Amino acid sequence: MSEVKKSKYINPYIGGVLLGLVILAAFFISGRGIGASGAIKSAIVTTVNTVAPTHAENNWFYEEYNASHANPMKSWLVFEIIGVLIGAFISGAYWKRLKLKVEHSPKISSKRRLIFAVIGGILFGFGSQFGRGCASGACLSGMSLLSVGSFVTMIFMFGTAFIFAYIFRKNYI
Amino acid sequence: MKMRLILASVIIPLGIIIAAVPENTTKPFRLTAGELLNEVQNGSQFISTDQIADMLVQKDPSLQLIDVRSQAEFEKYSLPGSVNVPLSDLLSKEWSDFLDQGLRMNVFYSNGNLKSNEAWMITRQLGYKNNYVLQGGLNYWAETILNPQAPKSVLADDEIAKYDFRKGASAALGGGNTLESNVKESKSSKPVIVKKKKKKRVAGGC
Amino acid sequence: MAPLIVNEIISPDTNLLLALLIGIGFGFVLESSGFSSSRKMVGVFYGYDTTVLKVFFTGAITAIMGILFLSLFGLVQMDYLYIHPTYMTSAILGGVVMGGGFLLGGYCPGTAFSAIAIGKIDGMLFMVGMFIGVFLFAEGYPLWEGVYKANFMGTTTMNEILDIPRGVFALGLILIALAMFWVGEWAEKKFPREEY
Repeated sequence: MSEVKKSKYINPYIGGVLLGLVILAAFFISGRGIGASGAIKSAIVTTVNTVAPTHAENNWFYEEYNASHANPMKSWLVFEIIGVLIGAFISGAYWKRLKLKVEHSPKISSKRRLIFAVIGGILFGFGSQFGRGCASGACLSGMSLLSVGSFVTMIFMFGTAFIFAYIFRKNYI
Repeated sequence: MKMRLILASVIIPLGIIIAAVPENTTKPFRLTAGELLNEVQNGSQFISTDQIADMLVQKDPSLQLIDVRSQAEFEKYSLPGSVNVPLSDLLSKEWSDFLDQGLRMNVFYSNGNLKSNEAWMITRQLGYKNNYVLQGGLNYWAETILNPQAPKSVLADDEIAKYDFRKGASAALGGGNTLESNVKESKSSKPVIVKKKKKKRVAGGC
Repeated sequence: MAPLIVNEIISPDTNLLLALLIGIGFGFVLESSGFSSSRKMVGVFYGYDTTVLKVFFTGAITAIMGILFLSLFGLVQMDYLYIHPTYMTSAILGGVVMGGGFLLGGYCPGTAFSAIAIGKIDGMLFMVGMFIGVFLFAEGYPLWEGVYKANFMGTTTMNEILDIPRGVFALGLILIALAMFWVGEWAEKKFPREEY
């Protein structure tokens, strides 16, 4: 039925192949995959370093990060994320999707959607540290090199999401 | 719908090919055969026993002596501060970080020149930095450093200076000759150490 | 010859510039595949839209095949690539927590960035949440450091555990992915929803 109507999005398989090529390019050039949550970590470490330098020295988390990264904001991932923002903007502009809005199921209010977005963000941010990366970094890039941890994280991520999907079906359907 | 079949018809044959061919496990070699031959002919990998003795006496931290003989031989006698990496373990993962670095000099030694030269050739090919071979090995070490022979008095001054140095080094490094003598600076220049950033797996983290 | 940065074919600054370009490609693919929409993202869990599944796994198998072929021809040295380290406990825990976050928030970090770029307010709030989450983790780090570092298995890969060649594992993964795509397209027909 929907085959007659033209999709607003590119074919998912073509998108997937393109995504694979992007990952491949990242490995070919920099020896690492793509990522997203690492940039957030960089931003937080930089903020803490500036606002509370003594605190950063006392907390092992910041200490370990600072020891391995000379300048957090000049890291690879930060530049990559700036690129993501630009790339997505170009795509959104091309397909005329640029619009300030809250997207939600007609059954729930915007407010509920926004509250859930924040809760989801907190969980994802927290979980991404345990997973040592998010869906793109830990799962996708790690899977490209067949890392066991990546497969495990991916399976548990989709598995848990399926369970939550049933509980919170009202939010989306 | 159709796209899935196109994807499948492309990627399955590719998958079969990759599953069928053996993995490329060759380690990349950095030197061409000609370059290596040139180095071997020059013998620039050799470092004299005097130089090593001097570095040992001065406790030069950049010196990294590597004994490529078997463990049994290593336990029987080894140079001070040396590490035993039997030739058969040279490529094992636990040693690659130790050997593949640009800060210290890897000086291989065995009883003679043979095994240490083999170790040198392999590490050189792998692109490791600063690899040397102790010239003459432990045999020559014993001959020149541990039991130096007094030169004939008619010889030139620097020969005598060398003998003095060897005697001193011998005393310092536990040789048979314990005559007291001032350790003189060896004139030999130390090999220039190329400080180059270590090639490393890219640090990651999403 | 590759990775270029390790073999010093390009300078670190060029590397950062290329990171920007890779990011642009990544963002473009995410947005044009529809990942800037949270309802499209979670569609996979209700069967009405399996775009995520298709793009994710097509991307993974394309990248795997690409790396294996480049390595086969000696163009990439696998030894220098960053392999995601495996800390089993924390990998499971991270997956579970992220799964919850994924469903509740409707995004993952990469897609949230692309949603922000086209003006999704829920994407922005998701990002605010991400910052809070990472910050909480950092502040409470001593509490869960033990769990975080438990069961370290090094940079183990699936094919090593199963003791089969990489290529055979890749072929298996391709077949599994194609089977999932087939199920996904069947589900899309069974639970049709209008596209947003």
